[in-house]
Amino acid sequence: MRGWIEKQRYILDFTLSSLLRRKVKNFGLLVLYALIVFILASMMFFTYSIKKEASLLLKDSPEIIVQKLMAGRHELFPLRHIETIKNIRGVAAVEPRLWGYYFDTHAGANYTLLVPPAGGKIGKPASKTAVVETDPHDRAAEHAGQPLFRFNDVALEPGTLIVGQGMARARHTDMGDFMPFRAFDGNILSFRIAAILSSESELVSSDLILLTEGDFRKLFGIDNDYVTDVAVSVNNPREIATVTAKISRLLPDSRPIIRDEILRTYDSIFNWRGGMMIVIFSAAVLAFVIFAWDKASGLSAGERREIGILKAVGWETSDVIQMKFWEGAAISLTAFFSGVILAYIHVFFTGSLIFEPALKGWSNLYPHFELTPFVSLEQLTTLFFLTVIPYTVATIVPIWRAATIDPDTAMRHSGE
Amino acid sequence: MIELVNVRKIFNAGNPSEFSALNSVSLNIGENKITVLTGPSGSGKTTLLSIIGCMSRPSAGRVKLSGREITSLPERFLTDIRRKTFGFIFQQPNLIKGISVLENVMLPAYPLGEKRSHLKEKAMKGLDALNISGKAMAKVEWLSGGEAQRAAIVRALINDPSIIIADEPTAHLDTKLSYRFMEIVEKFKTEGKTVIITSHDPLVYQSAVVDRVIGLRDGKIEGKPS
Amino acid sequence: MRKSTLFFYSLAAEIILLGMLLVHASLSASQPKWEETANLVKTLGLTDLCLFTEARYTRHLSQADLNTPFQDHPLSLEHFPSGSFTLPPEGITKDHERLD
Ligand SMILES: Nc1ncnc2c1ncn2[C@@H]1O[C@H](COP(=O)(O)OP(=O)(O)O)[C@@H](O)[C@H]1O
Ligand SMILES: [Mg+2]
Repeated sequence: MRGWIEKQRYILDFTLSSLLRRKVKNFGLLVLYALIVFILASMMFFTYSIKKEASLLLKDSPEIIVQKLMAGRHELFPLRHIETIKNIRGVAAVEPRLWGYYFDTHAGANYTLLVPPAGGKIGKPASKTAVVETDPHDRAAEHAGQPLFRFNDVALEPGTLIVGQGMARARHTDMGDFMPFRAFDGNILSFRIAAILSSESELVSSDLILLTEGDFRKLFGIDNDYVTDVAVSVNNPREIATVTAKISRLLPDSRPIIRDEILRTYDSIFNWRGGMMIVIFSAAVLAFVIFAWDKASGLSAGERREIGILKAVGWETSDVIQMKFWEGAAISLTAFFSGVILAYIHVFFTGSLIFEPALKGWSNLYPHFELTPFVSLEQLTTLFFLTVIPYTVATIVPIWRAATIDPDTAMRHSGE
Repeated sequence: MIELVNVRKIFNAGNPSEFSALNSVSLNIGENKITVLTGPSGSGKTTLLSIIGCMSRPSAGRVKLSGREITSLPERFLTDIRRKTFGFIFQQPNLIKGISVLENVMLPAYPLGEKRSHLKEKAMKGLDALNISGKAMAKVEWLSGGEAQRAAIVRALINDPSIIIADEPTAHLDTKLSYRFMEIVEKFKTEGKTVIITSHDPLVYQSAVVDRVIGLRDGKIEGKPS
Repeated sequence: MRKSTLFFYSLAAEIILLGMLLVHASLSASQPKWEETANLVKTLGLTDLCLFTEARYTRHLSQADLNTPFQDHPLSLEHFPSGSFTLPPEGITKDHERLD
């Protein structure tokens, strides 16, 4: 055993020496290889964490959303349908939702405008001011009437907004500032920003603008008999499927979306079948195949001569194969670990800097979020087997040619 | 010690370019003797040497080493015999570029997995014996012709073989270095080694240390052994 | 030092570093920092992650209908980059069963 280890170390010594002989070429190869691992691992870390985060964040999203469809489009939902749904056995509550989009020409950004459900109260009490960004002027108004929604003790009142961090960034606004909107009828409506949602919640709230129902209807001209859609909650989660089926039957023009579908939608986000993903994947795979092919397609004259010499001085074919194995292993292990480490730093410490342009796309509003580093060991292992093993094998393959090199070639073609 | 019986070597058998390099060579090479194979270029010296050194197989005939038939052994055993029994000195030094002289010299011992400190000591001793220990860490590209050959000789000796095979060892050496080489060969003999050299250099085959000269022509042994 | 020793040292260093990063991952994953955000999702009844804001069907991925793409952003150029990271929502065709 000692002898075997010593032998492997000798062979590795020799392999490393001969790799160092062609420094530029082999270093270039290592960098390219590490880069491919880096891109694949970054994608892996990023998508896995996003999916995991989505499943944790959205676990309490509405059990069933019911939209109305008309001529293939999402339409406003008539309030009178709510009674129909309420009468279905097993339905606990039906909550009308009002939300929509607003394009801000000034910032070139799309916002999501949302009316918080009645009685909603989020955030921590005002005593914890570290995370709270409240407007001191608003404290007095707090006790007047019943606010629809509170964030960190700031009540959402008519004429005020509670906005997400991304929106505040895009507009360069802060609490207390006024934000003008062009309403459906061309009138300019101005709202005061009463609070800004916490930056921890940016992954769900970055582009949100919360406003009161009255303001929302005034802005978009939506009739009091209509809402955007409704959220349905059920008594027994196991009855979601039956309730959904009943809704579909009673309201054939509706489209129920259940929570499980939402979760599964996010489970398949960044799936390799997505357009950009397939481009990155195939580019990586192609680059990999090219240099594996370069490896496998043959030995240079110099290498053949060298193998001839090694065999002449007493190396067996199996020793030569072990040498090639170490060559593949040394390069691919180094590339794998460097690539994975850099990918981790890239995704979880620099906020996926390299992916940012692609993720931003055309939007001017981009959430700043810190991904929680979820790592799937299974995926890491898969990546290991998909990169290290094929490369090492590709390095060993041309050796069948080496086996045909007779040791006495060292005695011939001696001139160089 | 080495016995060849009716050894033939045919290259490209069955092809139009078929060529018979050795025709029924029978030969006995004694232990602890210095034997020189001479003959014009193309007479089959190198071919014969590579068969003796287990580097290639004869097309017909038998080769016996210390009474043991080795013609039909599988490659693995042949490599093992080659590694332990033979030390090779080629026409060209055939050192591997880019690595140090010391590493080159230790190369044949790598597959044996010997302890590195021992091996290094052995290699340094060998280099010292041929006065090139100063070049141990040098790259082989920096060596002169004579130094390179001496490094190759140290490499041939690293596994302490009992038979040394040298193919045209003086072809690239000047007279002084050639004499120096023959001194080294003489030392081999006093150490009890068997030496087989091919050469058409009179300096070699007329040397006093040579025990036997065998002439080769067109793949056949010429005349009677001297 | 021998090159093989150097190689094993550097490999060991990389493995240790990766191990430390994995420990970092499990430590940060065990701190429930998303509780507050999950609470916001529950209170506001949110359905989607705000990953992309450029198009309706990628902003509210799970709410997209069959016909949303290509008609969203007021300055819509073509397909959105984010659209190529995403797939249509789960169950989008379930209400469109074949009639024959
Ligand atoms: N691999 C080979 N294929 C075909 N012919 C060969 C091969 N090797 C050697 N020969 C031929 O065999 C003959 C003997 O070669 P060799 O033993 O190298 O002669 P020497 O060493 O005496 O100059 C030469 O004519 C050479 O061309
Ligand atoms: Mg010759």
